[in-house]
Amino acid sequence: MRPPARIAPIIGLAYVLAIAAADRPQRGAASSTASHATASDATARIVASAQALLATLDDAGRARVQFPLEGPQKTRWSNLPSGIFQREGLRLGDLTPAQRSSVMSLLSAALSRDGYRKVTDIMRGDEVLRTTASAPGRGPGAGQGRGGGGGGPVTFGEAEYYLAFVGTPSVTEPWMLQFGGHHLAINLTLAGRQASMAPSLPAAQPASYTVEGRTVRPLGNENDKAFALINALDDTQRTQAVLGYRVSDLVLGPGQDGRTIQPEGIRASALSAAQQSMLLDLAREWAGITNDAFAEPRVEEIRTNLPQTYFAWSGPTTNGSAAYFRIQGPTLVIEYAPQRGIDHIHTIYRDPTNDYGAKFTRK
Amino acid sequence: MTLTIAIVGSAQPSAHRVDEYLQASRLAIDPRGVQIELDLTPGIALAEAIIAEIDRNRDGSPSADEQRAYASLVLHGLEVAVDGRPLPVQLGSIRFADNDAMRRGEGTIQVQASVTLPDLDIGAHQLRFRNNHHPHGSVYLANALVPESDAVGVTAQRRDPDQRELTIDYELRAVPAPSTVAWLLASFAAASMLSVFLIAAVHPVTALKTWRARRKPGLLR
Repeated sequence: MRPPARIAPIIGLAYVLAIAAADRPQRGAASSTASHATASDATARIVASAQALLATLDDAGRARVQFPLEGPQKTRWSNLPSGIFQREGLRLGDLTPAQRSSVMSLLSAALSRDGYRKVTDIMRGDEVLRTTASAPGRGPGAGQGRGGGGGGPVTFGEAEYYLAFVGTPSVTEPWMLQFGGHHLAINLTLAGRQASMAPSLPAAQPASYTVEGRTVRPLGNENDKAFALINALDDTQRTQAVLGYRVSDLVLGPGQDGRTIQPEGIRASALSAAQQSMLLDLAREWAGITNDAFAEPRVEEIRTNLPQTYFAWSGPTTNGSAAYFRIQGPTLVIEYAPQRGIDHIHTIYRDPTNDYGAKFTRK
Repeated sequence: MTLTIAIVGSAQPSAHRVDEYLQASRLAIDPRGVQIELDLTPGIALAEAIIAEIDRNRDGSPSADEQRAYASLVLHGLEVAVDGRPLPVQLGSIRFADNDAMRRGEGTIQVQASVTLPDLDIGAHQLRFRNNHHPHGSVYLANALVPESDAVGVTAQRRDPDQRELTIDYELRAVPAPSTVAWLLASFAAASMLSVFLIAAVHPVTALKTWRARRKPGLLR
């Protein structure tokens, strides 16, 4: 029996939609397979870079960089300088130029282009701080020399960044690349095509400096995108987003693993599509530090959870002011906390469900 | 590469906490009690005064008793009330950073405490927390943790502008006890099995009736 003429277009539309729906999983699967291949390739490149670095080290160096996967090193990281916090691993200042170059090649493989720039800008900023400022409680000239760990001289600068492998670099088995120093902690857990860069702590002091006439703001995008977002909210939305109290530091900074605070602020479901895009773009500043092959699925996960994600703000809303903000969703916590002014910023990036790659390292 | 560098703006020498005493509190509510975690970090300018408060005999080495006495002093400054009813705070574990770390403005005193809640009815309740310890020169953080128990749901948090005071609105919900859940699951499983037996018992009769009907004249094809 032929359908009546007036419902024929509806049936035709349903047919087209059915074909599209049937096609979608196939295209999704194809895309997913491609993404798996890309992620696997990225892991292979990172592992190859790690092995190239290991080949430049003697036995003592290899022993210094390598830690067991389930030991205390996994959660041993901080934003503090050497002398207050004792890091383990390979210290950049102890390496030959070739070895140091291998470390930077490894970071280049593990991070996106923007992520690598951010990390090196933070390190260079710390060198600026070392050469122009005093260490805590010490006179000018502090920041020189070798960090001795807790109780030793306070030391920071580009030489005071440490690399560690927690677990053996592998293209299939879980392991972690740790890189950090004053105002930086990158904890990248890899397991085949899967990766998690949580928890990580990109920070900056000074927040702005010039190198050879070029102004560098390691966390400038984070700052500017956040101010753009808060100013894109209407009065009603802003009332929900702005917390009525001062937040003077990170709530879930170093040492706060496994804790989840009650979310506050405005829920992203109350934002327009354009505002949601701005929020996602802001979160990408952290999620996108890692290699693009791992960052893209992570951003998609954040996008999927956006309706359950909150944006909270404390402080003035005029760019150039010191303001704290937090993005918190089912798989995401980002905090941005200026420290007594705009020139010293702490941030934290966490995944309450996958810090240290818990999802894929759990036995 | 030769670096030609200059700091833009108002950069200060390594701006670790100087003249502030950071007091961060996290509160975890469950149906029976409240767990309180306090992280206290004196700034460089305040460290000697705090160390002196801890090291009462001034021997330069705070003893376990002196540390416990200081933690008790901290708890003495806390106010906790549920539905307007003040409740005592019990001291749990403590961990003190060494004096050198505190003198650098990065040593943290960690105090864990707990409050036992009375039996509360199912429904809405309010927890009020106030930190009066060292009010001069302190900055505060106070947050409710997401409850681990499904029986508790935080519905709102309110603070004063300095976060010295935190009021948590929460709901106490009726959650079936594990034994009740197990009983319900067992009942469901038993009912399902009984249904299977009944269907098996009824189905052959239905099939037999159908077969007989088909054998009647006029119904055969």
